[in-house]
Amino acid sequence: MEINYKEIGFKAGLEIHQQLDTHKLFCECPSVLRNDLPLAVVKRRIHAVAGESGEVDVAAKFQSDEKKEFSYQTYDTTCLVELDEEPPHKLNLEALNTTLEIALLLNCKVFPMTQIMRKTIVNGSNTSGFQRTVLIARGGYIETSGGKVGINSIYLEEDSARPIERNSDSTIYRLDRLGIPLVEISTDPDLKSSVQVKEAALKIGEILRSTRVRRGIGTIRQDLNISIKGSNRVEIKGFQDPKIMEKCVENEVLRQKSFLDRKEKNPSEVRNCLPDGTTEFLRPIPGSARMYPETDLPVLHISRELINQVKKNLPKLKEEIEEELRKDGLDGEMIKLILKSNKLEKYKELYEINGNPKLISKVLLLFPKEIAKKEKKSLEEIEEILSHDVLLFLLESVYKEKIQERDLKHVMEKIVSGVSAKEAIKLEKEDFLDLEEKIMKIIKEKSGLSANAYMGLVMKEFKGKISGEDAMKVINKFLK
Amino acid sequence: MEIESNFGNLVEVEMGKEIYEGILLPSPDSGTFLLKLENGYNIGFNKKEVLKIKVIKKINEKTKEFSPPFSKDKKNVAMIITGGTIAARLNPEKGGVDWLTTPSTLFRFYPELFEKVNIKKIEVPFMKASEDMDYKDWQKIAKVSSQLLNDPEIEGVVITHGTDFLHYTSSALSFFLRNLNKPVVLTYSQRSVDRGSSDANLNLVCSAFAATSDIAQVMLVGHATTNDDFCFAMPGTKVRKMHSSKRDAFKIVNSLPIAKVFPEKIEKLSEYNLRNKNKVILDSKFEEKVALVKVYPGQNPNILDYYYKEGYKGIVLELSGLGHAPTERARMGWTKKLTEVQKKGLIVCAAPQTIYGRLDPLVYSNGRELLETGIIYLEDMLAETAYVKLGWVLGHKEWSTSRDKVADKMLENFAGEINKRLVD
Repeated sequence: MEINYKEIGFKAGLEIHQQLDTHKLFCECPSVLRNDLPLAVVKRRIHAVAGESGEVDVAAKFQSDEKKEFSYQTYDTTCLVELDEEPPHKLNLEALNTTLEIALLLNCKVFPMTQIMRKTIVNGSNTSGFQRTVLIARGGYIETSGGKVGINSIYLEEDSARPIERNSDSTIYRLDRLGIPLVEISTDPDLKSSVQVKEAALKIGEILRSTRVRRGIGTIRQDLNISIKGSNRVEIKGFQDPKIMEKCVENEVLRQKSFLDRKEKNPSEVRNCLPDGTTEFLRPIPGSARMYPETDLPVLHISRELINQVKKNLPKLKEEIEEELRKDGLDGEMIKLILKSNKLEKYKELYEINGNPKLISKVLLLFPKEIAKKEKKSLEEIEEILSHDVLLFLLESVYKEKIQERDLKHVMEKIVSGVSAKEAIKLEKEDFLDLEEKIMKIIKEKSGLSANAYMGLVMKEFKGKISGEDAMKVINKFLK
Repeated sequence: MEIESNFGNLVEVEMGKEIYEGILLPSPDSGTFLLKLENGYNIGFNKKEVLKIKVIKKINEKTKEFSPPFSKDKKNVAMIITGGTIAARLNPEKGGVDWLTTPSTLFRFYPELFEKVNIKKIEVPFMKASEDMDYKDWQKIAKVSSQLLNDPEIEGVVITHGTDFLHYTSSALSFFLRNLNKPVVLTYSQRSVDRGSSDANLNLVCSAFAATSDIAQVMLVGHATTNDDFCFAMPGTKVRKMHSSKRDAFKIVNSLPIAKVFPEKIEKLSEYNLRNKNKVILDSKFEEKVALVKVYPGQNPNILDYYYKEGYKGIVLELSGLGHAPTERARMGWTKKLTEVQKKGLIVCAAPQTIYGRLDPLVYSNGRELLETGIIYLEDMLAETAYVKLGWVLGHKEWSTSRDKVADKMLENFAGEINKRLVD
């Protein structure tokens, strides 16, 4: 059934949460997720705190009706701050910088003075009982083919702890995710169709990925607020993939419409998007959460100088980067690969050392893959051995003509087999001397043959360890 | 343009072309104020940059006072509220701190406290951060405590207190309240009550429970570990704040917990003074001219002259190891100066800088040299407890007449401050 979005008074807004690629927001712990055994487990309870008037928030009550026990798994990558046993450290300035970049790329106005707040959370996902969050900017927009979409606000906040196991009277959380910096972007309810919803989500996603954000599953979460004329607002969470969004929007519109057709009204609630694009009930929509200041931290001042500095160094958007790489002489396939594997920074650094884009892209992307396949190891393992420092060293060695470009792959293979980088480039030279000696020996043993005949003998002897080109060079050298 | 008088009111702030609406709040930074926007977030403004503030709506504060539940089936406990995080709450509507001192505010924030006991009386002798307290405050708390303890309707007393110097107060009460008949429980919180994770809930529930027990001692009740499952009842003279921020900041030094206190049961762990029908005697005399000094490498012993000249009567030195200070072999030895000031009448006691363990000046010649000067070695007594005890002992004219008399009293075990049997 074709939906006439205008006719049904469709209104939707996006809320996007994106993890930033830096250490935690209020401590120096690294933002790494752990899948090994925890160091210890801490047991806590969270009490619903009544507001001044004495009433408890609806959502808070829903979640804290039972007296639940919460367990928190700790690691050597978490500290007392995540455990709510130490006051927060100063706000991570790297995270603030990235947030400002995002705010400026989304054409927002940054607040010069803003207070870090505590948003009451009672489901145990924050050891403190609240989430620290700060309003950074508002009043921006993005362009879509269906017109401008307003960016209402941009917040910087801490991610919650990861639920590992939920039981009726207890929940186990892992502290690894708690405190990872998260940027929240909420659009105005300007989205007018399922197509525009998807387009806006992709556009914002692209802008986010041009800055220092984390990649991979779970690092971005998109929520949608949807209503049609006469219906109650529904919040949908859990989109794993923007592709499902369109279908999910359509389903939700039809669901809300079916209530209206029955002269009923759908309940205002939070629903979870399932992989097939349908949704299921999650919980009631929270009332505006209790917010009060984070008194352990000073008011955040964002100076004009800082904003100007960020403005000057704004990252380029994907299209601009692609254009630049194309000018470097890379083909579309390679550009895609560099961006997809998130290796632009590394590519640029290697480019500084050795201005040969094709060679760099081979060393960075192709060779490790080929070696991994040959050695039957995972690409991660290979990339750990062929670290960025190793690649820098190798490309520098090529630039300084300590090794030949064509030997690079062989050297990399040696390094993977356990030889140190320094040794590996030395060996390569010796190998070549060794090679000359052996070829000379072959020529001496059977004198009088043609170059091509020697070539056959040499290639047989070395079983593909050298290129035909190299062999011919040496043969010609001795035949002269 | 009136800012201060409109705190808490809904206003419009005009700044250039922009108009912001929200609740006007004070800011911790001078020259600025905050505005709570409709979405709950606070943003800040420089007073100078604001063109106009228009009041849209005056918010009138309604605080309903009501009586918390009372039941004849529950035991009566009295509370003494003295300040600290456990009794403070930020007022997000108006800014600043509200003290929780009335039964209804207590009930609103700690409803579980009232499930177990009746809070029969609440006394508020003063409201202070513990770092602002001194012996005069201990005397006030002790006086109020003794009155409550001698009230037959009250089963025990719970005292809420800031954490920083809490162990000084617990020591002082241990000495000041003689002939103790009922539990005196001191408790605290390290996380403010406005957060769902506050440690105050468990600490208070366990404290109220301990106050109805048969343990007639001055004890500190608080988190045993970082977990929210049980508290330790810790002897008042053997406890010390050992962490700046953790829930289980207080640790027992050179002793054992009296009991494990759960919200629903008490597991006794060591011997204690049983609840009885004695009348508590208030004995809170205190000599103000007492000091606590930590000895460090290369320290000039002339610091002792300062205390003597200032009229100090006694000093507790935190000595190194088994009880050492720089001796005659040091570049700046203390032996001569120690002999000199003690001859003039200054009482010098020694407590372990190592915190854990007992002093023994006989093991090394350096210790024997210092012992000969007349220092009173206080065995395994905590330096903080030693300071409080010395002030208390010297406050008694009948005891402060001679060095030997003082030494006798300092080494007499009044409130478990000395443990003759240290176990690991």
